[in-house]
Amino acid sequence: MSESFQSRLAAAKRAAEELTQAVGTVIVGQRDVVEQVLWGLIAGGHVLLEGNPGLGKTLLVRTLSSCLDLRFSRIQFTPDLMPSDITGTNVLVMGEGAAPGGRFELHRGPIFGQVVLADEINRATPKTQSALLEAMQEHSVTIAGVRHTLEEPFFALATENPIEMEGTYPLPEAQLDRFLLKVLVESPGDDDFTQILRRTTGAAPPPPARVLTQTDVLGLRALCREIEVADPVLRYAASLVGSSDPASPNAPELVRRSVRFGAGVRGGQSLVLAGKAIALLEGRPQVSFDDVKRAAAPVLRHRILRSFEGEADGVTTDRVVAELLARVEQLPAHVAHAAAAS
Amino acid sequence: MVEASASLELERSFGRVARKVRGRLWLGRALTGTAFGLGAGGLLAGALWWLRQGELRPLAAGLGVLGAGVATLLAARQRWSDQEVALYLDEKLGSKEQIVTALGLRAEASEAALHLRQSAAQSLREGGRKLRGPKVWDAPQLLAPFGAAAIVWLSFLPLPPPPAVARAPGVERVQSANVKGLERIEALRDQRGRSPEDERRLRALADEAKKLRGDLAQGMEKREALSRMARLRDSIAELRSEFGKQQNRQGLEAAIAALNEHPEAKKAARALGDGDITAFDQEMQRLANQAEKQARESAKHALEEAERAAREKGAPGLADALKEQRDAFDQRAADAEALRQLGEALAGKLDPEALEDLKEFGQGGDPEAARRLAEAMGKALSQLSEEERKRLAEQLKKQLDQSPVGAGSPMTREELEEMARRLASAEGQKQLEEQLRQMANPDRTPEAERDGALGDAERGLSDAERGLGVMPMPMTGGPGAPGETPGNGSSPGPGQGNGNPGGKGSSREGGSGDHAGQSQALTAPELRSKANVQRSGVGPMHAATLGRAPARPGDTANQRGTGSLGSVAPGEIGAIEQSEVPEEYREHVGRYFEP
Repeated sequence: MSESFQSRLAAAKRAAEELTQAVGTVIVGQRDVVEQVLWGLIAGGHVLLEGNPGLGKTLLVRTLSSCLDLRFSRIQFTPDLMPSDITGTNVLVMGEGAAPGGRFELHRGPIFGQVVLADEINRATPKTQSALLEAMQEHSVTIAGVRHTLEEPFFALATENPIEMEGTYPLPEAQLDRFLLKVLVESPGDDDFTQILRRTTGAAPPPPARVLTQTDVLGLRALCREIEVADPVLRYAASLVGSSDPASPNAPELVRRSVRFGAGVRGGQSLVLAGKAIALLEGRPQVSFDDVKRAAAPVLRHRILRSFEGEADGVTTDRVVAELLARVEQLPAHVAHAAAAS
Repeated sequence: MVEASASLELERSFGRVARKVRGRLWLGRALTGTAFGLGAGGLLAGALWWLRQGELRPLAAGLGVLGAGVATLLAARQRWSDQEVALYLDEKLGSKEQIVTALGLRAEASEAALHLRQSAAQSLREGGRKLRGPKVWDAPQLLAPFGAAAIVWLSFLPLPPPPAVARAPGVERVQSANVKGLERIEALRDQRGRSPEDERRLRALADEAKKLRGDLAQGMEKREALSRMARLRDSIAELRSEFGKQQNRQGLEAAIAALNEHPEAKKAARALGDGDITAFDQEMQRLANQAEKQARESAKHALEEAERAAREKGAPGLADALKEQRDAFDQRAADAEALRQLGEALAGKLDPEALEDLKEFGQGGDPEAARRLAEAMGKALSQLSEEERKRLAEQLKKQLDQSPVGAGSPMTREELEEMARRLASAEGQKQLEEQLRQMANPDRTPEAERDGALGDAERGLSDAERGLGVMPMPMTGGPGAPGETPGNGSSPGPGQGNGNPGGKGSSREGGSGDHAGQSQALTAPELRSKANVQRSGVGPMHAATLGRAPARPGDTANQRGTGSLGSVAPGEIGAIEQSEVPEEYREHVGRYFEP
C-alpha cells in the first residue's frame, strides 16, 4: 500500500517533468512561469498571468493546453464583450425536429472548455469579468436559471497587461482572490531571447506531444490533496498570512505603513495548496517550510492591497511578501538557535 | 502489520534520538547556568574581597552552588516537546519537515502517513553524526572554572589593608600625666575674690582645671582638650574683664576721664582702660614712690576723683578697687620714703648697681628699681658689723636732723627715729631686714592680686596648650612677658608677668571712628568674632577669629575691655557670626596669620 503511494508520487513527479519538458519544446526559458502554472494546474486553482505584451503568455497557455488532452477555449476580452458571450445562451430553434412553437437550445460559451484562456481579462467591463466568478469558484455556470456543471478539470488562465491601462478595468478584489496564483512573466534573458528568435523565425516547430490526459490531471489533483502538512508548517503559513494584515500585532512595520488590506483565509488556503503542489512536483509526501516560502510571492502578491502611502512610496506587494518572509520565524527561536549552534 | 512495524520503528528511533537530544540540551544548559552561577559567585567574592567583607565571603561560594542548582532546575523544566525535537532534527537532517510531519500523523492510517513514517524512520536511522544532538559545550561555560577558581582564591586571599582614612584634625588622643601650666589655674582656688560669688567662680575654674588634668592623665581627644582649654580661657577672660562690662561702662569711662585730668595719672588711666588691673596697680605704686609730694598728692587726688566718678556712674566694684588703691597709696609712699632715707644712709655700703637703682628710684619711683634696691640694701645691712651699724644709726639721726621731716613726708619723724633706733640694735637690724624684704615684694591691692592671679592662670593655660603641641592663642592686652623682652602689646605697662610678650597691636586703618549704634540682640550663648587679617608672609586671606567672648547685646568685635581681639580697626572686622567653629579649625586658621 505504501509502495503504491510512493509509486504514485514518483509517477506524478515524472509526469510533471514530462509536461515541463513538452512545454519547453515550444516555450523558451520561463521555467519559473511554467512551473508556477503547473502548481495551479495540480492544486486545482486558477492562474493570473501578468506581463508585457509579446512575452509569450498566450503561447504558454496554448502550448500547455496542447500538452494536455483537454478541451481548450480562448476568450479575447474586449470592452464590448458580454457575459453571455462567455457563458453561452439559450437559442430558439425552429424547423425540422423542433417542437411546433420551436424550442430553446443551449449554445455553450467558451467557459465550458477545460483549459480556458481569458486573454487580456482587464479589457472587459466588470460585469463581464464577473461572469467568470461563478465558474472559477463553483466550477459551474447558471444560464437562464439552470445550473450547468463544468467538466473537470476546469482550469482558467487569465492574462493581463500591466502597462496599457487606458480603457481597462482593473480586476476587483473579489475576482483577484479567485486566482490561486498571480504569475509575473518577465522578459527573457539574452540567451533565451536568442533561442526565441531562432525558433520563431524558422520553420514552424512540430506541435508538442500530449503528455497528460484528463484522468492524469484529475489523479494529480487528488494526489495533491493527499500531501500531508505538519502543524508547525501550517502555523507558519497562517503566521505569514496573518502578519500581512496591518491590524495584526505581529505585522511588520512595513506592513503597518504600506498595506491597507492583507490576505484573507482564502490566501492561506491557497498558500498551503500551492505548497502541496510544490511538494508533489518534487515527489515528497509532506510540505516543508521552504515550499510555503516558495509559494508565498505568487499566492500573496495579488491578495495584498497597498495603502495610499505604500503606493506613494513605491512599495510593491512583492517587497511586502519579502518582508513577511524575513520577519516571520518558521522555527521557534530556541530550536533555531540550537540547530544553528550545533 | 507493516503499518504497525513502521510506527514502532519510528517511535523507537525517534525516542532514542530525542533522549540524546534532550540529554545534551539539559547538560549544555546546566553547564551554562552553572557557569553563570559560578561567575556571579566569583564576582560577588571579588566584590566582598574588595569591600573587605571577609565574613560574608562564604556567600559567594553559596551563590555559585545556588546558581548551578537553579540552572539545573531550569534546564530540566525547559524540556523540549516531541515536536520541537522533530523540528530540530528536520533542520539538522535537511529532511524538509519529514519527521515532524510523520510524528503528527501517528494516529493516521493513510498511505501518505505510512509512507512518511517509513521515510522518517529511515532518515533517523541514517542520520549518523548529524543526530548527535545540540552542542553541549559553549563559550560562556568557560566562566565555570574561572568563577570557581575565583571563589576559592578570593575566599582564602587575605583581605586588602583598609585604606588610609584622613583623620579629622584633633581626633588623635593625647595622654599626659602632668600638663604644666594647669596648676597655675588650680591655684585660683586659694585666690581671694571680690565676693563669695566671685570666689565660687574662681574655684569652679580651678576645679575644671583639675578635672582636665585628670582627664588628660587618662587620655582624651586632643580637640576635646583644646576645646575645654578654650572654655577655660574664655572664663578667665570674662573674669578679668568685669569692669568692661556694659553695666560698668559708664563708671569705667568716667574714672578714666577723671584720671586723665591729671597728667601724672595718664598711664594709669590707659592701663585701667585696657582692663589691665595689674599694670594699673604698678603705675599707682610708681606714683606712690614719687619723691615729690606734689606729684603724690596729685595722683592721690586723681584716685579720689576717679573713685567718686565710678561710684556716681554706677560702677561700685570699680570704685571699691580704686578705693583700695587710694588706701594703699599712703603706706606705699611711707615705705618708699623709708627706703629712700635708708638708701641714702647706706649709700657708702651699696655696690654700683644698687647705687644706680637708688638713683633711678629717686628720679622716677620705678617699682622695679625699688625692688632691686631693697634687696641690695637688705644684703648690705646683713653684712654690717656692729660698729658700722651704730655709725649708720647715728648717720641716719644726723640725716634726720639735717633735713627735718615736714608735713609733706609720708613718714613721721617718730617713725624714722624708730627705724634709726632699731638699726642700732642687732635685733632691730633683723626687723629692718625683714621690712626691706617686704619692700622688695610690696603687697598688691586685692584687686590687683586677683587680676595678677588670673593673668598668671591665663599664661599657665598657654603653657598647657603648648604642652599639647599647639601654638597658644596670642594674649591681647595683657601684661608683657617677664625677663627677656618687655612686651609691646596694646597695654602700655612694662611686662611683669610670666608669659610671652604681648601681641603687637594692629596698625591698619587706625583712623578715627566710633561704634555708634546698636546691633540687634542675638539669642546666642556666645559670639565669635571674625576679622580680616594678614597672613604670615603671604598675601591676604580671609581667616577666622582669634578670640571669642560671651554674647552681649550691643557688643562689637573690638570692644575694649573684652580681651577678645584687642585693637582692631573697623575695616578689619569681617563679621560677627553665630556659629560653632571647631577648636581645631581655629587652631588651623591661627597658624596662618598673626594678629
